[in-house]
Amino acid sequence: MKNKSWLQDMKAVPFLIPFFIVYMIFTIFPVIKGLEMSFYDWSLIGKLDFIGLENFKVMFSDSYFWRSLGNTTLFVILTTPTMMVLALGLALLANLNTKIQTFFRGAYFIPSILSVAVISFLAIFMLQPYNGFVNTILHSIGIEGEPFWLADKYLAWITIVVVTLWWTVGTNMILFLVALQDIPESLYEASEIDGATRWQQFWYITLPQLKPISKVILLLQVLASFKVFAQIMLITGGGPGGATRPLIQYIYETGFTQNNLGYAATMSFALFFILLILSIIQLRPQRTGES
Amino acid sequence: MKKKLMLLIGIIITAITLAACSGGSDDAGGKVKVPEGATEVVMWNLFGGGDAAFMKEIVDEFNASQDEIFINNIQQEFEEYYTKLITSVSAGKGPDLAISHSNVLPELVNQGLVQELDTYGEEVGVNWDEFNPNVLDSTVFDGQHFAIPIDTHPHIFFVNNQLAGDAGLLNEDGSVKMEQTPEGFVEFLTTLKEELPKDKFPMAFSTAGVDSYRLWFSFYSQLGGENIVTDDLENPEYVLDVDKAIEAANYMHDLWYEHEVIPLNLADFYADFQSGNAATMSTGVWATGTWEATEGLEFTAIPAPNIFGKEAAFGNSHTFVIPASQDAEPEVQKAAIEFMNYATDKGVVWAEAGHIPAKTTVVESEEYAELPYRSDYAEVANYVNFPDQTVHARGIQDILIRNLDLIWTDEESPEKAFELIEQEVKALIGG
Repeated sequence: MKNKSWLQDMKAVPFLIPFFIVYMIFTIFPVIKGLEMSFYDWSLIGKLDFIGLENFKVMFSDSYFWRSLGNTTLFVILTTPTMMVLALGLALLANLNTKIQTFFRGAYFIPSILSVAVISFLAIFMLQPYNGFVNTILHSIGIEGEPFWLADKYLAWITIVVVTLWWTVGTNMILFLVALQDIPESLYEASEIDGATRWQQFWYITLPQLKPISKVILLLQVLASFKVFAQIMLITGGGPGGATRPLIQYIYETGFTQNNLGYAATMSFALFFILLILSIIQLRPQRTGES
Repeated sequence: MKKKLMLLIGIIITAITLAACSGGSDDAGGKVKVPEGATEVVMWNLFGGGDAAFMKEIVDEFNASQDEIFINNIQQEFEEYYTKLITSVSAGKGPDLAISHSNVLPELVNQGLVQELDTYGEEVGVNWDEFNPNVLDSTVFDGQHFAIPIDTHPHIFFVNNQLAGDAGLLNEDGSVKMEQTPEGFVEFLTTLKEELPKDKFPMAFSTAGVDSYRLWFSFYSQLGGENIVTDDLENPEYVLDVDKAIEAANYMHDLWYEHEVIPLNLADFYADFQSGNAATMSTGVWATGTWEATEGLEFTAIPAPNIFGKEAAFGNSHTFVIPASQDAEPEVQKAAIEFMNYATDKGVVWAEAGHIPAKTTVVESEEYAELPYRSDYAEVANYVNFPDQTVHARGIQDILIRNLDLIWTDEESPEKAFELIEQEVKALIGG
């Protein structure tokens, strides 16, 4: 019996091997190689000098590392709560039993299928000064002045956050929507009989029922936001003057324009550990909750 | 039976995936038909747009002109070009001939990735005296030639004739009426501001990025600033003349904030000039080709105003190099140099893109003189101040651009910005 189930399991192997090999070559091996690189003075063509923990020492006193890590953290702090609330709000709207339900679902989700290059170009196009779409509207409703959405350091942050929300809220909305539809109708019926108001239903039934999915979304959102790079690179280039440069951009510049791959790998591992710790913190209460 | 089939499918998928990983040719060249008996020279080029078309024209002409050498011209994506070139050459899989900007040459030379060209150059009959000495100088390291320059493409100045004429700023012969002094240039722009209708503006320029850096470097060089760091491949010293750097930066800052002759944060300053909304603009010579092709745009191309005494401008050049390779065949390398010589002689074709050909013999030719606009700024080749010859040149440029942006966006004073630049550059070159 036992033997047979072992054989049964073996049948899965040929199907798993392709993925396993690709995963080893393109994910696990580079991770290990990256760790090795972080102990070396490693240029693009591999002039190697073992320098031990020197790269890590440099990193702790590198103000540009802290600044770009600060920028990334700011991005996480700005986008995560707003994303959660917005995604939930849109999911509730899309869950309403109205005739334009499909429209809601489609309209909110469409930006998510666009590539980062497209949404960045749209953002630049709409937000350019003097004759851009947004500023023209502002002028036409009588607002004076010329907000520089991409060149002012505060407005640039608002731009990046709003564009990111618009671009990625669809996926999170779908997750919330699925969870909303999973809530048994009977709960609402029972509460109605007990005379609960709509608000009470939302507060005491909907929200608690959404708790598990909220945790998943929070975790995914924090991990994804810490890795922010492409839209900032394309919209502001990390500017003005480095005010929006995220950590990944600094890593990229260190590795590929300054050819300092060793130090770039070091900073990548710093980010890896930050994400690891955050994941552990978030996963822990969930586990105990389940058991 | 069904299970066996599934197993078979699984094995096939495995095989295909493995094949996909190990497959692929390690040849640097693409698949083209090389004429029988001809020596194939694989060339990588980084050009796009008009540049690519003109280089292709030169290659095609060369291939048609004889049947001993065949240049296999392979277009590479510019964004990843240098990463790809450096890694493939060091892995021994590079092309036989490549294009490099002169500011990247120090990296290639220092890593031993390019070959000196004196030995074969002499055999093939390259006459170094035909080149503009200032341009050629940016390709010489320790007295040896490591590249053959194709051109120089400095930062210059463009004027919309219609708008300048309306403001009374053209002389009778059509030349631009501007006194070449700091005050004269400001007066030229303020006159435009006063004379032009409200919807036009004096100058289109970017408030951030590489163009503002290039104009700043031009002014810094005109003030007598030579370098950012010394010409030393691996261990240069920081020698920025901070007073001159600040003076040039303050002058530019005032164009936006004091005289208000350039609107802040233009989204696309090329488009503003192209559509006739801006009376002037400043960028690289390559724009000449673009303006030429713009219907209804009458313009003048002149050197960036030399207002601080010394004639100088920011510039870079495209060059040909031969990647170093242990099993290189002398025959192929000599063929490559022969093409380089031919292509630089065809500088008039290349000049159509706007660049100034590297060979003085071309610039002084009648054919070149017949091209419109080009002769008006060809002199700049003599006084371009090229980036410092160090492996850190590109890193230094990134640092300067990012910190100068702080000045242009009024975030920091020039004094503070250059303090930051000094710290950052020193960390880069010392580390």
